[in-house]
Amino acid sequence: MSEEKFYEEFEVFSRKKDGLALEHKFSLLAPNREMAFVMAKENFFRREPIKELWVVKRSEIRMMGQEEREGFKKLDNKHYRETKGYTDLPKKWKKFQEKAK
Amino acid sequence: MVTVRFSELTEEEKYNHFMERIENDEKIEADDWMPDEYRNALIKLISSHGISEIMGALPEKEWVPKAPTINRKLSIMAKVQDEMGHGQLLLRVNEDLIKPLGRNRENVMNDLFTKKLKFHNVFHMPSPTWADAAIIAWLVDGAAILTQTMMLKTSYGPYGRALKRICQEESFHAKHGESLTLALASGTSNQKQMLQESLNRWWESLLMFFGPKSKKDIGSSSVDINIKYKLRTKTNEQLRQEFLTKYVPKIKLLGLTIPDETLRFDEEKEEWIYREPDWKKFKQVVSGNGPKSEERIALRRDSYKNNEWVRNALAAYHQKNRVFAG
Repeated sequence: MSEEKFYEEFEVFSRKKDGLALEHKFSLLAPNREMAFVMAKENFFRREPIKELWVVKRSEIRMMGQEEREGFKKLDNKHYRETKGYTDLPKKWKKFQEKAK
Repeated sequence: MVTVRFSELTEEEKYNHFMERIENDEKIEADDWMPDEYRNALIKLISSHGISEIMGALPEKEWVPKAPTINRKLSIMAKVQDEMGHGQLLLRVNEDLIKPLGRNRENVMNDLFTKKLKFHNVFHMPSPTWADAAIIAWLVDGAAILTQTMMLKTSYGPYGRALKRICQEESFHAKHGESLTLALASGTSNQKQMLQESLNRWWESLLMFFGPKSKKDIGSSSVDINIKYKLRTKTNEQLRQEFLTKYVPKIKLLGLTIPDETLRFDEEKEEWIYREPDWKKFKQVVSGNGPKSEERIALRRDSYKNNEWVRNALAAYHQKNRVFAG
């Protein structure tokens, strides 16, 4: 019987310690969620302690295609969304300070 | 901002775009466009690396029940488990690469059983004494660490991420091997002799591990392609020289004799001169005709067959649930 009939790809995520975000670890093949969870523990956490472990069916994740990934490469016109778009402020404050002297 | 519209590019433009990414040290991901040559080189490299990890656990696994102390048993057991884990990671990386070709894990296992998929020469060799467990963990893993560390910056993202994890665990293996070797080297004369005999057995296989200097030796090589696509950065010979520089002084320090009286460091050429391994024998061994090839492949085949009922049950369960789900 062919294996592709029951194996599914799962993505594994874990939180190393409190205060940290979940991090993608790797992927694995498993026939169901419970076995995916057991295999994730066996495959990735034989040594290090963890706070949290998730397994998610890959087919449930909306991933990006190559075009989308490359489209995200350069965000060079979004300074207005960042502090670096407002570097002229100290100069303006200085003018007011000088006027007040 | 220029967005690349892949559907509008010609094959040549796609290739040029791909090579530009390689030159810029970008990482290629599984579903990115890649030339067939790149995909095939990855499949060849990663499937044999992955299956070598799994076959590599077998010579050491023989020593788990016979380890001399409980601590040694725990550490060699942990190492065997790690190797199997590495195999899992790498076969997973490979599965995403072969999926578009309509192939899966079952095909990879069958390729192993029919000897189409080759694994490292060292894992076809016998490990008759406890000293072999020591030499394997110290020097075979030492050689593997050099190769794997070189590939950490590989252009294929998923392979690099797997290697990062693997290298972390391999550093424990090297310590485990050093510990075993140092214990035997400072033991009784029988233990020292056992270690020397094991080194004699493994020396040629260790030199072979890195592969031939040029493709003339065995008739084919994928080193050039792998360097072109930045899968690897060093040649077989560069790695072998690194291995000799790292380990020859240590082996001598332990009072062991390297079974090659021609071995010396040439100061002028700045390289190690050594007796060329028998590359015909190498080709024969990796083709599945080594002393332990049949026995170890049979072990895998039997285990795969013995567990078939589990896969069948899972497939039936999956089928049944799909029917209920409508």
